[in-house]
Amino acid sequence: MFHSRIKRFGLAAAAIAAVSALALTGCSGTSGDSGGGSYDPDEKVTLTFTWWGNDDRADRYGQLIEKFNEEYPNITIEGSFTDFPSYWEKRQTEAAGGGLPDVWQFSDTYLRQYGQPGMLLDLAQVSDYVDTSTFEDALLGTGQLDGTQFSLPTGYSAWSVFQNDDLLGEVGVAPYEGGTSPEEYDDWMKSVTDASGGTVYGGTDVTQRIQNFELLLRQEGGNLFTEDGELGFDEDQLRDFWESGAAVRDGVGVPQSKLEEITPTSGLGAKLTASEMTWSNFLGGYLAETGDATLSMVAPPTTDDSAKDLYRQAGLQMAISKTSKHPEAAAIFLDYVVNSPEAGEIFGTTLGFPASSSKLEGAVLEGADKQVADYLDSVADRIGDAPPVPVVGYGSIEQTFWDLGKSLGLGAISVDDAVTQFFDEADVILAG
Amino acid sequence: MTATRAMLAVDERELRQARPKSARTRRRVGKIAWLVGILALTAVVLYPLIWMFAASFKPHSEFGSNMGLLPENPTIDNYITVLGGVAGVPLWQFFANSLILAVGSVIGIVLSSSMAAYAFARLDFRGRPVFFTIMIGTLLLPFHVLIIPQYMLFRNLGLVDTFVPLLLGKFLATEAFFVFLMVQFIRNLPRELDEAARIDGAGHPRIFFSITLPLIKPALITSSIFAFIWSWNDFLGPLLYLNSPDKQPVPLALRIFNDQTSTSDLGATIAVSVLALLPVLAFFIIFQRFLVEGVATQGLKG
Repeated sequence: MFHSRIKRFGLAAAAIAAVSALALTGCSGTSGDSGGGSYDPDEKVTLTFTWWGNDDRADRYGQLIEKFNEEYPNITIEGSFTDFPSYWEKRQTEAAGGGLPDVWQFSDTYLRQYGQPGMLLDLAQVSDYVDTSTFEDALLGTGQLDGTQFSLPTGYSAWSVFQNDDLLGEVGVAPYEGGTSPEEYDDWMKSVTDASGGTVYGGTDVTQRIQNFELLLRQEGGNLFTEDGELGFDEDQLRDFWESGAAVRDGVGVPQSKLEEITPTSGLGAKLTASEMTWSNFLGGYLAETGDATLSMVAPPTTDDSAKDLYRQAGLQMAISKTSKHPEAAAIFLDYVVNSPEAGEIFGTTLGFPASSSKLEGAVLEGADKQVADYLDSVADRIGDAPPVPVVGYGSIEQTFWDLGKSLGLGAISVDDAVTQFFDEADVILAG
Repeated sequence: MTATRAMLAVDERELRQARPKSARTRRRVGKIAWLVGILALTAVVLYPLIWMFAASFKPHSEFGSNMGLLPENPTIDNYITVLGGVAGVPLWQFFANSLILAVGSVIGIVLSSSMAAYAFARLDFRGRPVFFTIMIGTLLLPFHVLIIPQYMLFRNLGLVDTFVPLLLGKFLATEAFFVFLMVQFIRNLPRELDEAARIDGAGHPRIFFSITLPLIKPALITSSIFAFIWSWNDFLGPLLYLNSPDKQPVPLALRIFNDQTSTSDLGATIAVSVLALLPVLAFFIIFQRFLVEGVATQGLKG
């Protein structure tokens, strides 16, 4: 009985193995050939296109696709969208199982992950259809990996200090002037917290965010990561940085426990703090959260006035899959999204401040968009080269840094332990 | 519930015995205190739900500043926003898609799992124990291991962006949990009923439809409720297999209002969440009666 059961099990297992082998071999037949062809305007082509973002962004892409079809009626664009985390989950499955979309919204933090194994089309192969002369070299660099142009930025933003002028008016403190030494910024925060009697705080502990650490490293001539994808700093540097935030954590900045209460809104969005450091393209979001308070933007504090510590972060990019069956048509559409004045007119600065000069020409800059443009102008002297391409897993490293910063704020961990923990986790992430 | 009824019965009997007044008031005070306690506990448990309902009337700018229950400036704008739909797809379309998927799963699971369960419980075929073990084994297999091979399979069949990948498995009794549930249920039914039918000349189809199916109604109801709720809340399946916005179900639409990289419309997210809850709640209220009945008859069985 037992013996025959094993025999039957063997048969069943063999059957299952055979079925799955069939299923697997069925898939190896797909391989895209790309490049070398030319676009035939009379051929009817359907492209899949996907992006992450909200309802508003979907409306704008809808308008853009309509405009695009006036010019190219034979290219049908099938658009789809999800939110950011789901977006990458879905791409991961498609990358393994085949079926990546023809054209997709891309992020520079994933450039190594998708560019290295050759899942993206080298845009040089379709250079007849994509104009890259409208981009400055530093911005082109944000879509390059080891010299190959895999993606093009739709826009960029720069690190900045936001402040709520209405709140500052209420407590009677003059706005922060921007670009001072970090100590002077701390003093200014303290003056706001003191003047309000503790109802409004001057700001948040800046040592929570890895971008502020990056700024400091760049002021000293370094970067977060080296070109080879190693950490560009040591434990002592990180320890000093986190220790420099101790005074602000002690009653000057908004207590972390209060920030936890209002998650996912930030301190500035909830009108708990008068200032916050973040990316310039968040202005629109903050305006919506604060119910249209008067917000202004100034340059972040710096230890060295002459340093080129800021840079243009071009996180939002556009890429084409290597498996696309119509690389030329895909390139025409990609060019339209990143370069056309129509895209500038429809999107304004919602995909970042336009990176392409021809797209920028079409953009009507008023209100918040104008404010961002003015800010970027004002810090032009401090903008340096883009840092090396982010390492695989940069998102996790950034989050780990932030989480540890929050734990420091809650007093749940000592600076020494946080440093050890950060390096341990970074080792695991970088090794994987 | 039975406990409450039993207590009330005891209470009445005691009242009839005309006890001294003081004892009666003492009892009443005790009862009120007990009820107040229970209500307070319920309020604590339901607070997140009540908060969500109340918060759906808060304007967007109030989310950071007002953590309390009641909105300071109540508005129905959030509902107006979400009823307008997402990117040209009306909201009802997402609900219709969810409903097709959920009802489809319920039908598929009830039909196929009950048949598979009948076979495992009543038919004696070669390799039954092995197949049964393999079926239980699939319960131990994490879903994530299957995602990619399954995706490749459906992609090569050209079925991505249709409802087929999400429903096919349900019609083929691949949900081992439900099959197992029904197998156990059928095994507990007296075999004599089947034998009596067989003597009357019934074959397996007749026995299945006329004898077994009516008797396992409680298991079918339980399975339906689970299948409906699981399908209604499923996020990963639709995310992977459905591309076109007009084919997506409610959980995907929900995320669109709450995108962290652009502006999150928290008011709209919460309003959609409230709306998304209603069908599940309605389904449960309608079917929970059968569920309780089912449990009761199960107890009577010899």
